[in-house]
Amino acid sequence: MNKIGAWLLSLRGPLVAIIIGLLAGSIAILVAGGSIAETYTEMWKGAFGSFYFFTSTLSRATPLILVAMGSAVAFRSGFFNLGAEGQMAFGGLSAALIGLHVPGPGWFVCIVAMLGGIVAGGLWSAMAGYFDVRFRVNLLITTMLLNYIASLFAGYLVTYPFKDKTGAGAMAQTQMLEHAVWLPKLFKGMTVHAGFIIAIAAVVILYVYLARSVKGYEARMLGGNPLFAVYGGVRRTSLMLTTMFASGGLAGLAGAAEVLGSQYRYIDGSFASADYAWTGIMAALLANGNPIGSAVGAFFLAALQTGGMGVELNTDVPLEIGSVIQAVLILFITVKFSWRFMRRKKGAIVDGSAV
Amino acid sequence: MDQLFDLALFNSALRILTPILLAALGGALCARVGLFNVGLEGLMLIGAFTAIVGNHYFENTFLAILFAIVCVCAFSLLFAFLSIHLQANVIVVGIAMNFLALGLTTFSLRTIFHVKGAYYDKEMVGLPKWNIPLIKDIPVVGDIFSGHSPLVYLSIVLAGLLWYYFYRTVNGFRFLAAGSNPLAARTIGIHVRRYQYGAMIACGVLCALAGAQLSLGQVTMFTEGMTSGRGFIALVATMLGQSGPLGVLGASALFGFMDAFSIRLQGVSWPSHFTQMVPYVVTIIAMFFFRDKGFIKDAQNAGSSSR
Repeated sequence: MNKIGAWLLSLRGPLVAIIIGLLAGSIAILVAGGSIAETYTEMWKGAFGSFYFFTSTLSRATPLILVAMGSAVAFRSGFFNLGAEGQMAFGGLSAALIGLHVPGPGWFVCIVAMLGGIVAGGLWSAMAGYFDVRFRVNLLITTMLLNYIASLFAGYLVTYPFKDKTGAGAMAQTQMLEHAVWLPKLFKGMTVHAGFIIAIAAVVILYVYLARSVKGYEARMLGGNPLFAVYGGVRRTSLMLTTMFASGGLAGLAGAAEVLGSQYRYIDGSFASADYAWTGIMAALLANGNPIGSAVGAFFLAALQTGGMGVELNTDVPLEIGSVIQAVLILFITVKFSWRFMRRKKGAIVDGSAV
Repeated sequence: MDQLFDLALFNSALRILTPILLAALGGALCARVGLFNVGLEGLMLIGAFTAIVGNHYFENTFLAILFAIVCVCAFSLLFAFLSIHLQANVIVVGIAMNFLALGLTTFSLRTIFHVKGAYYDKEMVGLPKWNIPLIKDIPVVGDIFSGHSPLVYLSIVLAGLLWYYFYRTVNGFRFLAAGSNPLAARTIGIHVRRYQYGAMIACGVLCALAGAQLSLGQVTMFTEGMTSGRGFIALVATMLGQSGPLGVLGASALFGFMDAFSIRLQGVSWPSHFTQMVPYVVTIIAMFFFRDKGFIKDAQNAGSSSR
């Protein structure tokens, strides 16, 4: 009983955040001259209205969940990996290049391409980790800066050496992958692909790893109380390198799954413009790095985005209504609302909300 | 080499560093009171957009900048309220702020101006270009320092003022004390929260100016997401400069110069991808040399990677 009560209590904050988000959305809709009820109905329909739309939401959630898992694993150990965008770009590009140039049966190439994506993203991220442990270069800055370098380098590769020259268009992209290499669709005619299963598997594995394994315990300890962890004999250096590799690897896998499952080629800037990386990081931060919570968050954010597209198709309200609601909701979701605040006031207030 | 290095290079470096410097000074103020502001990018974007909106309605650049300052301050107050009063995670609020700014400016661009992508109006007048009388005539210095918008000069003056405030005034000392040890600061009667709010509002003003320089300083237009990572670069400049005004000035100058240099490199037929990479690579290399000692101490104290 108590457990259920505590669980319900923990839902109170997110619920208030959702209400504030929807209210802010309503104001925006009124400003844009739309009808609130109609817009929200269209939004719901766009995200869940039919089986097709529902699977589109799942398909959009796939990379978000994987990126969220990547951020969560680092976050849990007390590291901030803000480099998902670059890791995703490298993962996606490697998968595309392996898919194009490695010979063999389709399923084999597909698996190798995904592993290649994991390795590319993982090494890129582990490099930032190495800079931190070896040279004490701030991880937060390096991961962020490496985003730009990775995106630009990937952009160079698809603009010059690996550019698709078969088409008439001048798009910076690789050639289309062969059909045999594609990740299979889960349902015929729907956009959701096998990458979603992989994403769910990643959530389960990460949950078990963090909750049940010794290494996972060490990781959580390092994130929760670093001093205690070091006294307890946790080897920070190796844990940080493996954590950063796993974190970047998951982001790389997100990129690979996008390429193999829905775009079938690496298109310059397509990940960045969809904002997969930051949305995924957001989802992980919302749930404080809890794998299941992060996955739910990622799914919810994906629903808001596909819902926004439905709104733009069927009403005069711009698509960005989705991102406005999403942002306001996120703004308020980690807020400790007044009941908590009142209680804090009685005790010692800690000034300065350091992370 | 002659075509790579000339005085015009320094001139454009000065122009490029201005928005970064302004935002980075705001970031430094926040960092010093324990608020790690990831939302600089968003605040800057709102500043750029509202400056254009203000210019459109008031047809006066001064009022436009004032309008931008008011709007951005409203957002930074929201940021402050959520993270200081309601104890939300600063990084989450910061990233959400960036999302909100991107969504809201694009949304408003459509609803106010009914355009997609970019808003441009021939009639609109941008910031004036100042030629400072005496300096203009000095040979080398004149070429570098004249013909900029007032905000360029203001940004450098502000960096100096902030240095003076931090290290030469009593209030500045209290400000630093409030950040470095909130508990101790409170026991001697410093209102820590007041300083935190002050820092956030000042950061709002600075980001508004940074945004205004972007949208009104050179081109007099607004494009979706026109800050394109400059807020994050400012954040890096804040950290690289270790949140000291002069360090921030140096770091921003490095960025501005490398950025201007990378544009120049395109002239020697390097692929633009590599030239654009130069500022980021240089920053990472710079970090190997100017390591943040404060971070190391924090890390040793906490036994962790400091973040």
